[in-house]
Amino acid sequence: MKASVIALGLLAATALTSQAHADKLDDIIASGTLRCAVVLDFPPMGSRDESNNPIGFDVDYCNDLAKALGVTAEIVETPFPERIPALMSGRVDVGVASTSDTLERAKTVGMSVPYFAFEMAVTANDKSGIKSFEDMKGKIVGATAGTFEAIALEKQVKEWGTGEFRPYQTQADVFLALSQGQIDATVSTSTVAQANVKTGKFAGISVVGKAPFDVDYVSLFTNREEYGLINYLNLFINQQVRTGRYAELYEKWVGGELPDLTVNGVYR
Amino acid sequence: MFNYTFHWNQALRSLPQMLDGALVTLQIAILSMAIGLAIAIALTLFRLSGNRILSGFATTWVEVARNTPALFQIYMAHFGLGNFGIHLSPYTALLVGIAFNNAGYLAENFRGALKAIPDTQTRAGRSLGMTSLQAFRWIIMPQMLRIAFLPATNQMVWAILMTSLGVTVGMNTDLAGVTQELNARSFRTFEFFALAAVIYYVIAKAVTLAARAFAWRMFRY
Repeated sequence: MKASVIALGLLAATALTSQAHADKLDDIIASGTLRCAVVLDFPPMGSRDESNNPIGFDVDYCNDLAKALGVTAEIVETPFPERIPALMSGRVDVGVASTSDTLERAKTVGMSVPYFAFEMAVTANDKSGIKSFEDMKGKIVGATAGTFEAIALEKQVKEWGTGEFRPYQTQADVFLALSQGQIDATVSTSTVAQANVKTGKFAGISVVGKAPFDVDYVSLFTNREEYGLINYLNLFINQQVRTGRYAELYEKWVGGELPDLTVNGVYR
Repeated sequence: MFNYTFHWNQALRSLPQMLDGALVTLQIAILSMAIGLAIAIALTLFRLSGNRILSGFATTWVEVARNTPALFQIYMAHFGLGNFGIHLSPYTALLVGIAFNNAGYLAENFRGALKAIPDTQTRAGRSLGMTSLQAFRWIIMPQMLRIAFLPATNQMVWAILMTSLGVTVGMNTDLAGVTQELNARSFRTFEFFALAAVIYYVIAKAVTLAARAFAWRMFRY
């Protein structure tokens, strides 16, 4: 009698705990919605079309992920500095937001394997006389606050010891300041640079060369302890490349030579 | 559901950097207040002058400063003027924007204070042979500053808090700018922002208390 009560109690306890173990992957599938943080002033990765719908590489990538999970995608517009608050406060499930996978950030969020890679380009105001990365020494330069290139550029300015670095809150503000001549040059991802110069919205600027920064590998991210979901994301990225979808999306939004997502000589 | 483990030691290591930023914040607030006060007194005189152009100018300033967001004013000082080829650095743009805002609000404070001083005092001054400017300078203004002082400390607190809008024009040396940057680097959003909030609170509280002590010392009868 006593033993059966204990057994029943144990059974109830296991039933309860196993229910409490539903992880984020389960939650997403159960809720039927995948909420992605996407930066929408970062063409061609994320932007809005004429009728204000979100479009871009990251938007399509989120839609693909939702399709794989069998749920509907919800694009949550998230400026760069708000990616982490959005995740931590539970407003989004996954960040598909061109997030550089630095070790410092990996202390806070869980990063997938790289899903995209950027090269950095220098865009200068035509009046500044800047023709290469080295010409930026001693000038006023700027970049989008909180991005890989902003951190690298600010470090470079400090090393040069002259000139000034200004972080702006959005990519649009950087290019506005650049075309007004408030800053002389910026370093941004080459895709963004070309997309912005091409729009013709910003007069008097041109892409003048590459910046010698490391390749900027960007990851999907979610909560650090959600191993189940991170595992799924890694496999998903692998499948995107394997099935040719990655190449297809790259051709659609960027064009040109497909960036390699692997690093030679080491596992990840 | 708040899924986050706080790493306070990492944030506290950056405290000296943030305190340096707090000094810049305080510096901008004090400068913008000094400039704002000077302009506000001028605007008050313009409004009293009876000259339609001068008082129209003063009224327009006050209307725009009080009825548009401070964010807009600071953004215009940087990107708006930039459109016309006038390039203010983030520091200057922030200072100009806040000083513009301060001047508008302080001029309104002074208007209220003036209402509390009977007209007869000016007339008494004039009948003693003072010019109207002298009557304002020696009789009205001391009382006006006394009445407006405590409301004006509100504006000082407001100025301190408004400096945080500098991040929109590329400011990275003030408290908000430093905090944003530390956050971007490490993603420890909540620690850094909580720490910044405490620093803002302490500065604002200290300013309020200091102003009250000053008023008690200066303005007792």
